Amino acid sequence: MADNVLAEPTVTGTSATPVNAAAGKSSKLAARIPRLILEARRVAATLIHGLHGRRRAGTGENFWQYRHFSSGEPANRIDWRRSARDDHLYVREREWEASHTIWMWADRSPSMEFSSHLTEWSKLDRALVVSFALSEVLVQGGERIGIPFLMRPSSSRNVIETMAQRIIHDRTERPSLPPNFAPAPFSEVVIFSDLWSPISEYKKMIGQLAANGARGHVVQVCDPAEETFPYSGRVEFVESEGLGSVTAGRAETWRNDYQALLANHRAALRAETEALGWTFTVHRTDRGPTELLFALHGRMGAHSVQTAINSRHTGSVA
Amino acid sequence: MMGSLPLAFAQPLILLGLLSLPVLWWLLRLVPPRPRVVSFPPTRLLFDIAPKEETPSRTPWWLILLRLLLAALVIFAAAGPLWNPPVATGAKNAPLLILVDDGWAAAAAWDVRLRTADELMARAEADSRGVALLPLSETARDISLQVAGALRVQAKQLKPKPYSVDRVEALPVIDRFLKTTPEAEIVWLSDGVDMGKGTGFIDGLKQIAGSRPMTVVSGGTTIPHALAAADNAAGALTVKVLRAQTGVAENGLIHAIDLKGLPLGDAPFAFGAGDREAEARITLPVEIRNDVARLEIAGERSAGAVQLLDNRWRRRTIGVVSGSAADRSQPLLGASYYLSRALNPFADVRLAESVAPAEAIGRFLDQRLPMLVLADVGNVAEARGRLDTWIENGGVLVRFAGPHLAAGSDDLVPVRLRRGGRILGGALSWEKPQQLAAFSRDGPFASTAVPNDVTVTRQVLAEPDATLPDRTWATLADGTPLVTAQKRGKGLIVLFHVTADTRWSDLPLSGAFVDMLRQTVSLAGATPAADGDAAAGGRGQAVAATRVLDGFGAFTVPAATVRPVPSGFAGRASSDHPPGFYGPPEGLVAVNTLLPEDRPLPLDVTALNARQDVYRFGEPVDLRGPVFMAAFGLIALDALVVFVLAGGLAAFARRRSAATAAILIVALAGALATPRTAQAQSTLMPPQSLPQRTPLSPQQQDFAIKATQQTHLAYIVTGDADVDEISRAGLSGLTLFLAQRTALEPGEPVGLDPSRDELSFFPVIYWPISERAAKPSRATLDRIDTYMKQGGTVLFDTRDAIDAPPGPDGETRSPGMVALRAILSSLDVPELEPIRADHVLNKTFFLMKDFPGRFTTGRLWVEALPEDVEEDPSRPARAGDGVSSIMITSNDLAGAWALRPDGQAMLPLVPGEPRQREFAFRAGVNIVMYALTGNYKADQVHIPALLERLGQ
Repeated sequence: MADNVLAEPTVTGTSATPVNAAAGKSSKLAARIPRLILEARRVAATLIHGLHGRRRAGTGENFWQYRHFSSGEPANRIDWRRSARDDHLYVREREWEASHTIWMWADRSPSMEFSSHLTEWSKLDRALVVSFALSEVLVQGGERIGIPFLMRPSSSRNVIETMAQRIIHDRTERPSLPPNFAPAPFSEVVIFSDLWSPISEYKKMIGQLAANGARGHVVQVCDPAEETFPYSGRVEFVESEGLGSVTAGRAETWRNDYQALLANHRAALRAETEALGWTFTVHRTDRGPTELLFALHGRMGAHSVQTAINSRHTGSVA
Repeated sequence: MMGSLPLAFAQPLILLGLLSLPVLWWLLRLVPPRPRVVSFPPTRLLFDIAPKEETPSRTPWWLILLRLLLAALVIFAAAGPLWNPPVATGAKNAPLLILVDDGWAAAAAWDVRLRTADELMARAEADSRGVALLPLSETARDISLQVAGALRVQAKQLKPKPYSVDRVEALPVIDRFLKTTPEAEIVWLSDGVDMGKGTGFIDGLKQIAGSRPMTVVSGGTTIPHALAAADNAAGALTVKVLRAQTGVAENGLIHAIDLKGLPLGDAPFAFGAGDREAEARITLPVEIRNDVARLEIAGERSAGAVQLLDNRWRRRTIGVVSGSAADRSQPLLGASYYLSRALNPFADVRLAESVAPAEAIGRFLDQRLPMLVLADVGNVAEARGRLDTWIENGGVLVRFAGPHLAAGSDDLVPVRLRRGGRILGGALSWEKPQQLAAFSRDGPFASTAVPNDVTVTRQVLAEPDATLPDRTWATLADGTPLVTAQKRGKGLIVLFHVTADTRWSDLPLSGAFVDMLRQTVSLAGATPAADGDAAAGGRGQAVAATRVLDGFGAFTVPAATVRPVPSGFAGRASSDHPPGFYGPPEGLVAVNTLLPEDRPLPLDVTALNARQDVYRFGEPVDLRGPVFMAAFGLIALDALVVFVLAGGLAAFARRRSAATAAILIVALAGALATPRTAQAQSTLMPPQSLPQRTPLSPQQQDFAIKATQQTHLAYIVTGDADVDEISRAGLSGLTLFLAQRTALEPGEPVGLDPSRDELSFFPVIYWPISERAAKPSRATLDRIDTYMKQGGTVLFDTRDAIDAPPGPDGETRSPGMVALRAILSSLDVPELEPIRADHVLNKTFFLMKDFPGRFTTGRLWVEALPEDVEEDPSRPARAGDGVSSIMITSNDLAGAWALRPDGQAMLPLVPGEPRQREFAFRAGVNIVMYALTGNYKADQVHIPALLERLGQ
């Protein structure tokens, strides 16, 4: 794994204000984290029942066991250091690793805090819950979970707590799209974001991430209001990240146009994503988190060569 | 001052700000309402949407209007609006001369005038200005500048004068004052009424005042009215209501009041918008009309609104001249006597002295009487010419026939007469005395009922001709005229074809005679008769005032300055002769504020070139607060509108269902709660108050009338048909027995539903207890309790002595007793005991040992008598206070009394001892008598003592 990923992230805003603002957001988030963790564990528990362990020897990086050398094997497999201790020849086996590392990245930009009157979950909450739950499931499955620039890949049992702590204590600016990092070739990237950035930026970002051959899953987390546009009357729409506002004289007349634009945007996103062999999923916060979790887990399982993950759950892809 | 509104501004210049409203309007039109702000992450997508049509880009017109109104209100409030501004004065330091009209016309709104003067002086006090106050009636002394504070105290004592003030007399005083203080400013608190010399005063004032600033305050108050020219005309008392100002239509009422202040009648009057004069007609019977001493306008306190009436307005004076000698020899049988008795209730009668008729007529004509009665005067001789003129001028001449007239009359009769007259029913006549048959429908007697007690034995007959039916007022049964009349000029000649005494007819004895004379008199004009004394040379006798009117039209004791008036005084009231009654009670002279020909006119002050102002009611009100409040209200409204326009309503719409549900719940709860509270109230009310509170329905009234016309025995309808039939038959039997044996003859027994029927009509109620009957409701028991408390007696009969379990007190455990106990448990029942041998119930009619019914084993329980140890043990009968409200038996009394329609007993008796039924009936008689007479029999023991005390 490239260590530069773990370098201290640069704080782009040198003035104190963005930092403080970020701290304020973190503390706001921190208040919600326990609830989110609980929810994530609950969601994860529904999936873990169907898991089978991968605990077996295979190609991997970590020591698994020593075994006796059997004749006919290539001699370079012999672990001479061990074999020197007694009269037998030993081979050092390593644990089998299927996909090595999974990078979770949940968009924590202000737009993710949005929640309309149609649902009680903000997009951020949903993204965190699903990413926590997915991490838990994957850790139990032996995977290593990391957050770019925030958390080294780890397969520790308490991965959720670790992730949560890192997220809470992150005081850097929160971009709408994942930062530019270089995932290892066989690692996987899971991106939770609302993806309202322009297609060009998105294309650039995902192209960079996929450059090393990492595979990925992109989840667009949407509020139901962002799809149904339930507004009427004279409304001023303000972009959550300070990019300006637009005033609609009669918002209800904008609905059809908006929905057409939305469909176009989505189609472009999907096209860009799937061109790289990544998956693209749309999730609405008024649906249950389990649904997204099953879908994601199923997709990841489908790419695993020999995973024993039960593929029953893949039918629930949204 | 803004037009006619009592509105002024402290800073009128600020109102120019209203000119900025159009600019504001233009600006407001351009600024759209604030949109609702929504944070929306995909706003970047919206940037690409081309702007659609922006409908509410301009503020709606009504919102602009609202805001313009708001701005206008703020400007208006900033200008310091003042409602009821005080009368403005000019220079701040010049002395102030206040002229006050204080004649009768000022009295109606005197408080307002005083308050205006007080305000003026208060402000003068604040500005340290000298003030002089001149009531225009007080011209006797000069005025001088005074300190306003002291003058304010004096001004409070001012009273309006009850007469018309001649303002011109005040001109010299004003002139002298203005010469000493030439810089004075003049404020004239005018009453706006010109009684004739207004122009002279205004010209004079203009000359005196020159170019000094002057304010005339007038109007703004109620219009003063005056009464004048009261006329006790034929048929009605009329009075003219006058006013100076026109312009509004008005209605009002005139009260007619007698000397003692009792109201006699009312009459309405109505002014059209342009009228200065209206007439009120007080139609009262002439006797009552004659008692009217004072007319006043209801609700107006002013001497001008009062018209006093003395004898001159009262009775018509009627001269009676009799030609018959009987009047002098036997005065109580003479025509004059009958006439004066008949006329006196409504007219003054003057009898001719013992002079010849012609001379008497001449004297009466001198006295200008409106009506003369000539009883059996055949020929008026030398007075005829004057009499003729008098009739032509409106005199009414009433003549009665008689021997003289029959013998030969002049032509002062309405019809031509036959000589000699006609005798009916006499010894030499076949004809019978005739009855008065009809009154002519066109004549004045048409409204009088035709009497049937008038018979005419003699009359003078008219020559029949074509005009006779038209001139006939009353006819006899055979069609001959009894009363004829003819108009001559303005006057009238009426002829009664009989005598005014009883020689020719019964007419003078009949009530119809008075009625006919009354109708005739009311036709006479009301020209006041010249006073007899005055005619005799008594004119000039001065009479002193007894009661005078003050400026407000109330009677007061005359002041020392009031001078006597001549007894025939007919002038206008003045300061020397204020309006009121003068002279002794029997010869009152009324002096009125206005003469009949006086007409108040509006005062024209335009010649003065003065600033004109109106009187203000109430304190000045600073309108800034309310107007600012209104502006703030509009601001709040505007905020609400903006909120709604910006979609605030949509936010509420989400909660609409919840809100609807909440409203429904509240409404439902309200609907449920209302009847419950109503119920609660009805249960809180004591039940006995129900009959008084609720009007009786027709059925209840019928029941009450039937129940109270006669004493009835009553029983409670249990709903068990057998029991009820036996109760009814039993009480019928007892009713029959009572009628046979006692003085009481009750009506048919009445079945009662205690929950519905009024119980208090019945002295005793028989209540058979049926185990099957339901226990009465709480309300019913309350009614029964009330009945017992108010003195009623209930005889409970459990009818089951034979079913009682054996043993001592067995009867108290019988099923009926158990049911009864259940009922009584909810009643307030006094302590009971089995009847004692010395109880008065044993002796009320028959002497009884026990009270058997169909059975004999049961005992009769009554209210326990108080243990009275001092009582003479040998006393044969004892009774507590009142009647036992409850009696309980189990012997089935009604069963023993019950008789079939054929008179045979309905039920057999147990054990059927001889005379058991007789004793059962006697028991019933005793019970009824006890309920009706109470402890009367117990008191019989005292009779020997009472007799002894009486000494017999």
